[in-house]
Amino acid sequence: MEKLLEVKDLQVSFQTYGGEVQAVRGVSFHLNKGETLAIVGESGSGKSVTSQTIMRLIPTPPGKIKSGQIIFNGEDLAKKTDKEMEAIRGKDIGMIFQDPMTSLNPTMKVGHQIMEVLVKHLKMDKAAAKERAIELLRLVGIPFPEKRVNQYPHEFSGGMRQRAMIAVALASNPKLLIADEPTTALDVTIQAQILELMKDLQKKMGTSIIFITHDLGVVANVADRVAVMYAGKIVEMGTVDEIFYDPRHPYTWGLLASMPSLDSDDKSELAAIPGTPPDLTNPPKGDAFAPRNPYAMKIDFELEPPMFKISDTHYAATWLLHPDAPKVEPPEAVKKRLRQLSSNYPQPVIVKESE
Amino acid sequence: MAEKQKLIEIKNLKQYFPVGHGQVIKAVDGVTFDIYKGETLGLVGESGCGKSTTGRTIIGLYQATSGEVLFNGVSVHAKKTSQELKQLKRKMQMIFQDPYASLNPRMTVADIIAEGIDIHGLAKTKEERMKRVYELLETVGLNREHANRYPHEFSGGQRQRIGIARALAVEPEFIIADEPISALDVSIQAQVVNLMKKLQREKGLTYLFIAHDLSMVKYISDRIGVMYFGKMVELAEAEELYRNPIHPYTKALLSAIPLPDPETERVRRRTVYDPSQHNYKEGEPLEFREITPGHFVLCSEDEYKKYKAMYS
Repeated sequence: MEKLLEVKDLQVSFQTYGGEVQAVRGVSFHLNKGETLAIVGESGSGKSVTSQTIMRLIPTPPGKIKSGQIIFNGEDLAKKTDKEMEAIRGKDIGMIFQDPMTSLNPTMKVGHQIMEVLVKHLKMDKAAAKERAIELLRLVGIPFPEKRVNQYPHEFSGGMRQRAMIAVALASNPKLLIADEPTTALDVTIQAQILELMKDLQKKMGTSIIFITHDLGVVANVADRVAVMYAGKIVEMGTVDEIFYDPRHPYTWGLLASMPSLDSDDKSELAAIPGTPPDLTNPPKGDAFAPRNPYAMKIDFELEPPMFKISDTHYAATWLLHPDAPKVEPPEAVKKRLRQLSSNYPQPVIVKESE
Repeated sequence: MAEKQKLIEIKNLKQYFPVGHGQVIKAVDGVTFDIYKGETLGLVGESGCGKSTTGRTIIGLYQATSGEVLFNGVSVHAKKTSQELKQLKRKMQMIFQDPYASLNPRMTVADIIAEGIDIHGLAKTKEERMKRVYELLETVGLNREHANRYPHEFSGGQRQRIGIARALAVEPEFIIADEPISALDVSIQAQVVNLMKKLQREKGLTYLFIAHDLSMVKYISDRIGVMYFGKMVELAEAEELYRNPIHPYTKALLSAIPLPDPETERVRRRTVYDPSQHNYKEGEPLEFREITPGHFVLCSEDEYKKYKAMYS
């Protein structure tokens, strides 16, 4: 598999009155061509900051990339100037945001907003761009594109606006599409349409997608691989089957167990994760999840767990995988999901820093 | 279940909003259902289907265009003396979706929670008032040190707890929760839902739970009503509705939910609802009819016969 994007030990901080907020604290992952990586985590986990840093949309100051590399197509985006980024943003990397109302320009016709991309990045003339804009609107399933192209965003419904956003993002055939909670504001039936559309377009155009969401149902639907983030770090990463059928990190267990399941009539109490996420101005010593973790051991409060490798594709950062750790039982709701995966190593292996 | 007592009766409720040029939006267009004492009725549907408007009209935030809402046999919208109105409002409370917008940022948590206590004169002395506030804070899982703080010092989940404490302050019988967990993180949603269930067990509360997250609604509700374009199209016990949806819209809605299981997701097929599939004749009367005991569907006479044959 060819890697399109590789993020290495990314650290991003924000300078605030209260001190330095360490939003992303050493994140590493890669994205293959044509695949979808879902990033899950709650608000404040750093998932949006990570994706916005890839796009270099973090305002600096107060934001700052403290260290790390973002290798995209062989080039390090972290070192690019704003001017250089302009040639990449919207051309090689497209982005879809959560709220289609605020991310489209209300004073510009929808068609014009698509044409802008085509004229700037693909150097099309106006007439050709307009024709292509109509084509793109048709591609994303907007009826009467000839008429719609001349309308303003307020004349579109929420789902139609999100389709228009996708058309803008895909106008220049980007290699990478970053979708930050693209369906969170939409109804389930509209969400289903948008997800189908994105998968369909991915198949046609071979785009790689980073899909940020907190809805595990959506993750199961779209993702090839999943990264679970907590307090600015990736705590577990693996293929979608590994995360849903063989999760190893207690935070992933917590997320899976705190959702009621639609196909069971079990009305016993939900296994909520107690407490709230930590304040990242002063990240706690040891494992940031330890105070909320019923499985926490003494070492979790002292020393940060290293990354363990469970299979070629499955990573988790928890001391529970250490050979000396006691064997623990995951929550009931998670136990029901567990399966033996043949790709697992006989024993989890500690990942060396240099890898 | 023992003899079910009706707490709320909603009869042919309509709520229209004029939008100018002589046009009206029929946000709620003839909805009839009951809410029993001690149960949780879930109300689901897509945005704009009228589920929030239904909730707000029931509690009297809007004056109904027509129809009736009876609370313990007393009409909510009929003319009342201010004393009667006050009594009624004490029995019904509301929890809102946005825990950021629904708490006054310039009031301390103690004053927010005690506002209802003050208005209804439920505490005789200052000490008694604070004692109630402390009790309520502890009931919802906060602690008494929080009383003198302001809303901005709390996280979303904690604010929602303050909203719940405020609703509980006047000892209501009935609480309308309008998307109480939509703005919260997954890990926090379960905390709030568990709290609401615990309070229901302890205080015998009745809930109208409005939401679009169907898996949460199924978990918390005894019965569920599905709304579509201002009408209730189906009403049944929670498990029954999920297992045997009858109305094509309910089927489409259920088939659109992504489940957190990659294998089912790979094979899930979505059905699409097209209102024209009913082939209703011009002016054909649609009624809310009982197909199997406790399972109601909005349908025409012909459909009723068809459904009846298929499902019972």
